[in-house]
Amino acid sequence: MRLKIRTLVFAAIASLGTTATVAGDEPYHENYPQAHIDPARGVNGDIGFSDTLPFWRTEAELERNAKWVGDPNEQWKLNWKFMDLDRVDLHPGHLAVDEGEAMAAKLAKRNPAFLACLADGGKKLDGLAAGYPKYDKALDRIVTVESRIEQCAKTVLNEEIRQGTPPNNKISVYFKSLSAGTPIKVDIGDGKVMESYRRGEQLFYKKTGQLNFACASCHVPGSIMGHKLRGETPTTPFADAAHYPTYRTPIGALESLQERFARCLGQMRTAQIKPGDPAFTDLEVFMTVLSNDYPVSVPSAR
Amino acid sequence: MKSISANCRAALAALFLTTAGQAGAQAPAPDYSAYPCLSYTLDCGKLATRKPQVKMLEGTLNGNAEKGKQLAQARNNGNCLACHVMKGGSQPGTRGPDLSHYGSAGRSDAETYTAIHDMRTRNPDTLMPPFGTNGILSDPEIRDIVAFLQASK
Repeated sequence: MRLKIRTLVFAAIASLGTTATVAGDEPYHENYPQAHIDPARGVNGDIGFSDTLPFWRTEAELERNAKWVGDPNEQWKLNWKFMDLDRVDLHPGHLAVDEGEAMAAKLAKRNPAFLACLADGGKKLDGLAAGYPKYDKALDRIVTVESRIEQCAKTVLNEEIRQGTPPNNKISVYFKSLSAGTPIKVDIGDGKVMESYRRGEQLFYKKTGQLNFACASCHVPGSIMGHKLRGETPTTPFADAAHYPTYRTPIGALESLQERFARCLGQMRTAQIKPGDPAFTDLEVFMTVLSNDYPVSVPSAR
Repeated sequence: MKSISANCRAALAALFLTTAGQAGAQAPAPDYSAYPCLSYTLDCGKLATRKPQVKMLEGTLNGNAEKGKQLAQARNNGNCLACHVMKGGSQPGTRGPDLSHYGSAGRSDAETYTAIHDMRTRNPDTLMPPFGTNGILSDPEIRDIVAFLQASK
């Protein structure tokens, strides 16, 4: 594991206006106005969205803007990318990669079919995580890295390694580390993936909970994004999925993307759903398409 | 690659520390199933949004400005400070208008009460939670916050 210490490191406003739908006897629903996002543009869709991509897209750009780290007004423009990969000092996220590797090796020793299951029938995991989430024909559902781990453990070893648990996250961060640096390529040419993307997109704009917030209330232009929300400044959703599972300093543990969704729902005072829930999977597909062409960036810390 | 500057490292260390200070307590999650959620299967997934509701201030305000200040600052309560600069409190938000001199703006108690109860009645595009309609703040709590705002000069 490389642990070099390196130099650290507005836009087309979405048409404003809450869209409320009342059709016939349909219940009244409020959605945050939808921003225009073209899934084919992948991470480049941030241009014309938050327009922060040029500040964090590459190592060189992060270095050039390292002066913003710790600046309460400018830091959000770096999209926290200065904390990905080996850009920050040793933290437990790095150690989790080794732990996950040891766990996966142990499980594969019990039955080599476990590794073959993770590797889509092959022998190596290298680069595979960059293609997730994807549609699995045999299972007839969308699979994420975390659901793949859960499913392989169950079917091959009859062991529960549930999504949203520390063992699953450790194996996941190891699995994904074998794609670190590989550009994410969620297959938007797959009809099932796009159906999931569209459902996830709808969820992103749906106002929920006691606060009547949508994900978009904080993460599209014209929303709270780029403004202060107490101590935080919400950032762009583009490339965000790339660094999960991440080591979360507030909880001192690895956190998967779907666990992060759950944490957001708590802050939005919205009823919880669990990692692996189809709604979260759709949201993960939507979010990961917004990371297409950006490299898998684990381990990371937030 | 150059090595990290001392400044950046200090900033990062501070960052870790500040975020660590916000560690979520492991209290049981409150039940929000009475409001819309993202689930495809739970009942809350099909729940309607509560419609914008005009509520008039009844009688005199009779609010307690000091209590209102506390409510406005508490993260688990009004948390007005999340989006607004106000008198007192730390780490104010910047998305909403600065309310630190609200009392000098000449707005009535009645319109202020109605706006906090449900800002959607004034501005359908608002990001502001419907505090009264969604039961985030009670009638006396909204009165306290109105009193605090009117005392902010």
